[in-house]
Amino acid sequence: MKKYNKITPEGTGDLLFEDCMAHRKVEAILSKSFSSRGFQEVVTPGIEFYDVMDPEVSGISPEIMYKTTDRHGRLVVLRPDSTMPIARLTATRLQNLPKPIRLYYTQAVYRSHPGLTGHRDESMETGVELLGASGRRADLEAILTAVESLSKCVPDFRLELGHAGFFRAIASQLPISPEERETIREVIEAKNYAALNSILDDLEPSLPVTAMRRLPRLFGGEEVFAAAESLCVTEEAREMLEYLRSLYQDLAALGLGSRLMVDLSLVQRNDYYTGIVFSAYAENWGDAILMGGRYDNLLANFDAPMPAVGFSISVSALAKLMLKQGRVMPLEAPEVLVFGREGYEMKALLFASELAEKGRTCENSVFSSLRESEEYAVKRGIRKIALVGENISYEDVPSNSPNEAEKGRKDI
Amino acid sequence: MKPLRIALTKGRLEKDTVELFEKIGYDCSAVRNKGRKLILPVGDRIEVVLAKAADVITYVEHGVCDLGVVGKDTIMENGSRFYEVLDLGFGRCRFALAGPKGKDFYEGFSEKTVASKYPNVTRAFFESKAMDVRVIKIEGSVELAPLLGLSDGIVDIVETGSTLRENGLEVKEFVADISARLIVNTASMKLRKREIEELTAQMEKAARPEGGAKP
Repeated sequence: MKKYNKITPEGTGDLLFEDCMAHRKVEAILSKSFSSRGFQEVVTPGIEFYDVMDPEVSGISPEIMYKTTDRHGRLVVLRPDSTMPIARLTATRLQNLPKPIRLYYTQAVYRSHPGLTGHRDESMETGVELLGASGRRADLEAILTAVESLSKCVPDFRLELGHAGFFRAIASQLPISPEERETIREVIEAKNYAALNSILDDLEPSLPVTAMRRLPRLFGGEEVFAAAESLCVTEEAREMLEYLRSLYQDLAALGLGSRLMVDLSLVQRNDYYTGIVFSAYAENWGDAILMGGRYDNLLANFDAPMPAVGFSISVSALAKLMLKQGRVMPLEAPEVLVFGREGYEMKALLFASELAEKGRTCENSVFSSLRESEEYAVKRGIRKIALVGENISYEDVPSNSPNEAEKGRKDI
Repeated sequence: MKPLRIALTKGRLEKDTVELFEKIGYDCSAVRNKGRKLILPVGDRIEVVLAKAADVITYVEHGVCDLGVVGKDTIMENGSRFYEVLDLGFGRCRFALAGPKGKDFYEGFSEKTVASKYPNVTRAFFESKAMDVRVIKIEGSVELAPLLGLSDGIVDIVETGSTLRENGLEVKEFVADISARLIVNTASMKLRKREIEELTAQMEKAARPEGGAKP
C-alpha cells in the first residue's frame, strides 16, 4: 500500500521560520489593534455542524466544505468561515451581554478548491464582528478599524466601498424570476457586460433595465456617486447612495481620499450582507486581502435577531506581502553558544538562562567537545561561544564566510 | 509605471488579438518576430504573455497577469474567479451535442455515455436537463468515441461541422455559443481601473465590425 507519510494534503503546507514569523507578526499586530479597540478574542471549534453553515444562509456552497460525520452520523464540516460560528455563539451564549458585543478571532478556515490551481485549502484569517449595533457610527467604526489595522501591516492598499442593497433595489424593480435574478447577479459579479446585455435585451426598456445595465460599470472614485444619481430607481436606492456618499466623505476627510474606491456592483458570494460592503486590495496580490460588510439578518437564523457588521482579513496574504516588502526582519542566529566543560553542564544551562533573562539570545551546546561546538557555531552563524567551567570566558567564532555558507547550501 | 500584462491564448486567438492591437495602433513587431520568447512588449504600456488556454485563466486568476484573452469554451470548462468584460467577437464557434446520423440520442431508457474534451461543460449541460449521463474524458479526436462504440454521443466544439459529417455524425443539439473573451483579474481591475478601461474601450471599438452593427 502506498504511504502518504512524507507529504501534506494538497492545499495545505508547513510554515517554516520566516513564513511562520511573518504570520505571527501579522497576527500580533492585528490582535493588538483589535483588542485596543475593545474587541475581545474568541476561538470557535475547528469542526462545526453542517447546519451552522447552511448554504442558504451563508452563501457557502456545499461543494467547497470539508465534510465528515460525528459518531452519531450527523454531518459536520471543517470550519469554512468564522462569521457563521460567531453568529451562532453570540445568539446562544452571549444573549444576555449588554450590546454592542465586540469580538475578534484569529483562526484557520478550510475550503476545498479545485485541484492543482495553487489555491490554499487551509488559510489563516483574522477579523472582527461588531454585533448588536446598527447605523452610521458602527459602520464607520468597522471601516476605520479595518483601515487602521491594515495600515500597520501593508501601508499601500486601496479600500473599496459598496452597498449590498443597491443591486437588490434595482432587481426588485425588474420583472424577473428568482432564477433570472441569480443569473443577473452572477454576470454582474463577473462584470460580464456582454452576457448582462443579452439578458437585459429581452426585457422592456425601462429605467431599472438601464440602471442594471450600467451597474457593473459603476465603480471607481467619487465620480461614481454623480453617475449613479440618475439610476436610483427607488427612494430606498437613493438613500443608500446618499449614505454611501456620506461615509465616503467622512473617510476622505481623514486623508484616505486617494485610497478610497466605490463599487456599487459589489454583489459578493457571501449573500448574507444587507448593507455596506467593503473590501481591500494591495499591489501584487490578485485577490481581496480584506472583505467585510453589514449583515443585519444573519443572527435571526439563530433566533437572536440583531444587526451586525464585521470583516475578515487574510493573514496568509498579509504575511506574504510583508515578507515581499521586507517588513519582516530575517531570523538572526542567536548571539551566543553556551558550552559547559565536562562536569559544568548544569552551570552552563543556568548561565544560558541568566543570559536569556537579560534579554540576550543564546543556545545551549549539546556537544561534548569544544571543537564540535565551534564547528556547530560556524555552521549556525553564531559569533560567540561562552565557555563555562570553573570560570566563564568568551571566545569569538570565525565568521561563516559567504563562500562557506554557499558551500553548505549546495551540500544540501 | 509597470506595463499592463495580458496573457494571450497561443495560436489563432493570439493572431486575432495581435491584429486587433495593430488596428488600434500598437506596435506588435516583437510578437510577430517572437522567436521562442514568451513575454513580449507591445507598445510601451503592454506586455504580452503567450500561454495555453487554460493557463491564461490560471495566470489571470492569480493576478500574475492583469488581463487575458481566452475562449468562452475554456472559461466554461474551468470556471471563473475573474471579470469577463468583453466579447471580442472573434474565435466564434459553438459547443454542440453530436451523435451518429439518423439516430435519436435521447431514445430508450438506458444510461447514455457521452465523450468529451470538456467534461465539466458536458456535466453542466446534462445537469440542466436533469439527466444522468456517464461522462468520459477524451483528450484527442472525440469523434472516435461514438465510432468505436465507446459512447452514444459527444459534446465538442463545432465550427463548420465537416469533421462530423465525414465521420457519419451530426449535431443533435447546440449547447452554447463560443467566442474569445477579454478577462481581467479582480484586484487589477480595482487597482488599475483607468488603464484597463482605456484598453478595454480601445479593444471594444476595434473589435466591432465595420458599420458598428451588432453581430
